[in-house]
Amino acid sequence: MKPLSLEVMLARLYTDPALRAAFLANPVAVSRRLGLDEDTARALQRIDRAGLELAAESYARKRAARRGRRRGAACLGSGR
Amino acid sequence: MPDPNRSSHPVHPGRDRVGLGWRGELAAAILTDPESVDVLEVIAEDWLHASRREAAALAALGRVRPLLLHGVSLGLAGSEPVCRRRLDRLARLVERVEPEQWSEHLAFVRAGGIEIGHLAAPPRTEANIAGALANVETASRIVGAMPALENIATLIDPPASVVDEGTWTTAIVEAAGAPMLLDLHNLYANAVNFGTEPAELMHAMPLERVALVHLSGGRWIDARNGQRRLLDDHLHDVPGAVYGLLENLAEAAEQPLTVVIERDGNYPGFAQLLAQVEWARAALARGRARRREAAPWAA
Repeated sequence: MKPLSLEVMLARLYTDPALRAAFLANPVAVSRRLGLDEDTARALQRIDRAGLELAAESYARKRAARRGRRRGAACLGSGR
Repeated sequence: MPDPNRSSHPVHPGRDRVGLGWRGELAAAILTDPESVDVLEVIAEDWLHASRREAAALAALGRVRPLLLHGVSLGLAGSEPVCRRRLDRLARLVERVEPEQWSEHLAFVRAGGIEIGHLAAPPRTEANIAGALANVETASRIVGAMPALENIATLIDPPASVVDEGTWTTAIVEAAGAPMLLDLHNLYANAVNFGTEPAELMHAMPLERVALVHLSGGRWIDARNGQRRLLDDHLHDVPGAVYGLLENLAEAAEQPLTVVIERDGNYPGFAQLLAQVEWARAALARGRARRREAAPWAA
C-alpha cells in the first residue's frame, strides 16, 4: 500500500477530530498505525500543535458556514 | 486562440485603483453609486453554475465597473492535479464574462478525496513547487489566461517546509510568469503569527509582479496552550498597519496597483466601507509621493 502523502495526512488531521486528538496524544503511534513513511512521520512529530488546533477549528467553521449557505441558497455556485 | 501566458485582459489600467469585493449584501449600495469604486471583484465559485442569463447579468455588471474574477477552490498549490471539471466551468465563465483578470490562491484545499473546506498552506517543498507550477500551467491553458496568484493566510506553520514563504511564493510566481495578487492582510497575519517583520516579509515577495492587492481585517484567537494567532476572517475593518504596508508597497512598486477591499460579513454601513476605500487611495497616494521624492526622475 502506498503511504499517505503529507498533504493527505494534513487534510485528515484538519477534518477528523478523533484522529487529530489521537495524533496529538501520541503522534508516533498514529503515524505508525497509518503507515506513514519515515520523512512524513518525522515532519509531523514536529508539527505546530497550537496552529494545528486553530487551523482545524477554523476549517470546521468554514465547512459549517458553507453547509448553511447551501441550505439557504436559492441558486448559484458552491459558495466561499 | 487564447494565449495562456497572458492575462485575459491584462491589468494595465495606467493608474492605481481601489474597489470592493462584490457581495449580495453590498450590491444595492454599490449600484446606487457605482463610480464610488474603481473596480469590482466577483467570487468565481458563486457563478460557476450560473445560467446563460445570469452570466449575461454579470457581464453587464462588468460594463458598469471593471470586473475581476476571484477563485477560491481550485487548490493550485496542491500536489494533486487540479480538477478538470472545475477548470472547464471556470473557462466557460471567463469566456462569457470576460473579466479584466482572474485570480486564484496558492493553497491546497483537498487531498486524497478529502475536502478541507478552506485554503490550506501546503508544505513548502521542491515537490510542491513543481506540482503548483504544473497546476498553474494546466489552469492557464484550459481557462485561456494566466491567473494572478495570491498568497494565503495560515494559522499553522506548514510542516516539512524547506523554504520560507517569500522564497516559495517567488519561486512559483516567477517560474509561472504570473502576475501576483498580494493580500496584505494575509501577509501581515502570517508575519505576526510566525515572528517576522511584516515589511520584511513583504519585501521577500516578488513585488515587481504585483498587479492586484487585497486588504481585509481579522481578529485574534487563542489556542488552548495560551498562544495567540491573528485570524484573517474578512469580518473586521482593515487595520492601520495594513494601510501602512500598502503605502510602502506603493513606494516600492513602479507599476499601477489595483486594490480590492474584501468584506465577507459583519458588514458596517456602506459609508464606512467607502471610507476604507478612501483610506486605501490615500495610502497609495502617500506611497507614490514618497516614491517621487526618492527618485524624481522615475516619476
